Amino acid sequence: MNLRADHVAGATFVIFGAAIIALSGDLPVGRLSMPGSGFLPMIVATLTIVFGAALVLRAGESGRFSEVDWTDGKHAAMVTIITIAAISLYTYLGYIITMTLMVIALLVLIERRNPLRAAAYGATLVLVTYACFVLLLKTPLPASPFSY
Amino acid sequence: MESTLLSLAHGFAVAFQPDNLWYAFLGCLVGTLVGVLPGIGPLSGISILLPVTFGLNATQAVIMLAGIYYGSQYGGSTTSILMRIPGEASSVMTCIDGNAMARKGRAGAALCIAAVGSFVAGTFGVIMLTLVAPPLATIALRFGPPEYTALLVLGLIFLAYMSSTSLVRTLLMACIGLLLGMIGIDNMTGHFRYSFDLAELGDGIGIVPVAVGLFGLGEILSTPSHKVRGEVISPKFRELLPNRQEWGESVMPIARGSVLGFIIGIIPGSAHIISSFLSYALEKRVSKHPEEFGKGAVAGVAGPESANNAASTGAFVPMLSLGIPTGPITAVLIGALMIHGVPAGPQLVTEHPDLFWGFVASMYVGNLMLLALNLPLVSVFVTVLRIPYAYLYPLIIMFCIVGVYEVSHSIVDVYIMLIMGVLGYGLRKFNFDPAPLVLGLVIAPLLEQSLRQSLIMSNGNYFIFFSRPIALGLLIVCAVLLALSALAFALKRKDWRAKLAEAEAGEAQG
Repeated sequence: MNLRADHVAGATFVIFGAAIIALSGDLPVGRLSMPGSGFLPMIVATLTIVFGAALVLRAGESGRFSEVDWTDGKHAAMVTIITIAAISLYTYLGYIITMTLMVIALLVLIERRNPLRAAAYGATLVLVTYACFVLLLKTPLPASPFSY
Repeated sequence: MESTLLSLAHGFAVAFQPDNLWYAFLGCLVGTLVGVLPGIGPLSGISILLPVTFGLNATQAVIMLAGIYYGSQYGGSTTSILMRIPGEASSVMTCIDGNAMARKGRAGAALCIAAVGSFVAGTFGVIMLTLVAPPLATIALRFGPPEYTALLVLGLIFLAYMSSTSLVRTLLMACIGLLLGMIGIDNMTGHFRYSFDLAELGDGIGIVPVAVGLFGLGEILSTPSHKVRGEVISPKFRELLPNRQEWGESVMPIARGSVLGFIIGIIPGSAHIISSFLSYALEKRVSKHPEEFGKGAVAGVAGPESANNAASTGAFVPMLSLGIPTGPITAVLIGALMIHGVPAGPQLVTEHPDLFWGFVASMYVGNLMLLALNLPLVSVFVTVLRIPYAYLYPLIIMFCIVGVYEVSHSIVDVYIMLIMGVLGYGLRKFNFDPAPLVLGLVIAPLLEQSLRQSLIMSNGNYFIFFSRPIALGLLIVCAVLLALSALAFALKRKDWRAKLAEAEAGEAQG
């Protein structure tokens, strides 16, 4: 069997819809005259399964799964990992330190830029945006353990 | 009519307050930059900057955010003409003839025609909005839960019908959005739904993390910097004015684009994108020299640019008068109003006249500001376009994180944004448009409430939707749209939507 992109996408939505129905077990569906909190989620999850199945049935119109272009996958994975690290550190190290490190990591590890230039750009960018947020827009940003 | 003019005069008094003028200017400037920069669309621009408006009052916030929206329509043409890269999706058609004109040494004229066309169409759109929205809101005051249910279902079906991807794909995305919108405490019974004991999910998933993730971060994940390259053509300031022949050739396309764009803008869907494609097709069909299209035809710039600006204004009609988003951008704007404690809908005109009329009047002023901004500052935008994308996207990621965190100071929201970014990346790989997901998320509470209220009103009888004339009329339109889609599918015939999707895909590759 030729695995098509829509076979995978459609099956994922069918599984997702089924998972929602399974998770809705303790939600009361109620009666038509007094619908409960599980009423609409059940309808929409069923529709998700139906549309997902329709996608699987019509998958012949889509491209092969093996032909889906993942050449940007490495870029996406690295940006995601660096962003996860930044989010994890954000409330502990504060805006200035976390964002400077994130910009440097993105420029050096992904874009292969000169570390010194990346550091200078990162620090300048973060300080300018910090000034804009805190001084101009009066938006408090998370502070570092060193109180800035 | 007299009361409309009096209200508009009051609106101008609001719009001309120095603070409001400043935020309109700021919105237009930021919107132009958002439109100019490839990779940041109006939706991600508005979503990222939404938290910045939290310190403002509702009128200032909506004036600024709307300025970003229609400003981005102006700015998108600059990148299209000078680099042949659409700054945002609705500028795709401007790339073809706009860049061809630039290569012939007429970059300045193309930019000027695009700016004037955008101004005329934007102003026409606002005049129509002034005339159409208040009476429509009066009619909408008669709507009860069954009518709202039918209207929201029609909105989703219309969006699916107009979508350039398939009906099933669009409805699937809307379903996922609806499911996300049901997370949190059920307003009618107090049950916790799908919150997995996370207190932060009790209030549900916010529109900001979802929109910023799908459209801001998702776009960055699928755009490696080596894919963003382009040569920028620099126009000279003295070449900005078109000659007499070029003016003559642009008058009728601007007029046609304005009317077509406004009508399409009212209809749910990615109106500003569809309108520019249809306008291009229309201009090519009515032209005496269709062979010039693709080689620098003035009408190929004037028509689509006017249409996408008129459409972006037309989209405000259902938003302001019915409280119904016709697309993801108006959905985010409705979200912004809700954050400021102002429910969008027919009561807006009567209960918040300062906001409604101040907003409408600010659009007249904003269009003038954009005309004044776009031409003299073209050299500044050319400089911005020369910033390498590799240095730009770390800044956008910073704004995504800060923007989402500042909404409710919740790190869980930032993780949701990240998950949505990865989801958006995956959806693009499988040819899904994430826009209906955002729309589903926004309308989920309203749809659920109106559906359940309707059933309670009728003691569980579905006939309530067919016994009320307005609801019945709306459901008949739903049935017709579904039948048309089914017919095209059964006959395996390419209708206008399939041809539009092919043209869109072809140009995106080209």
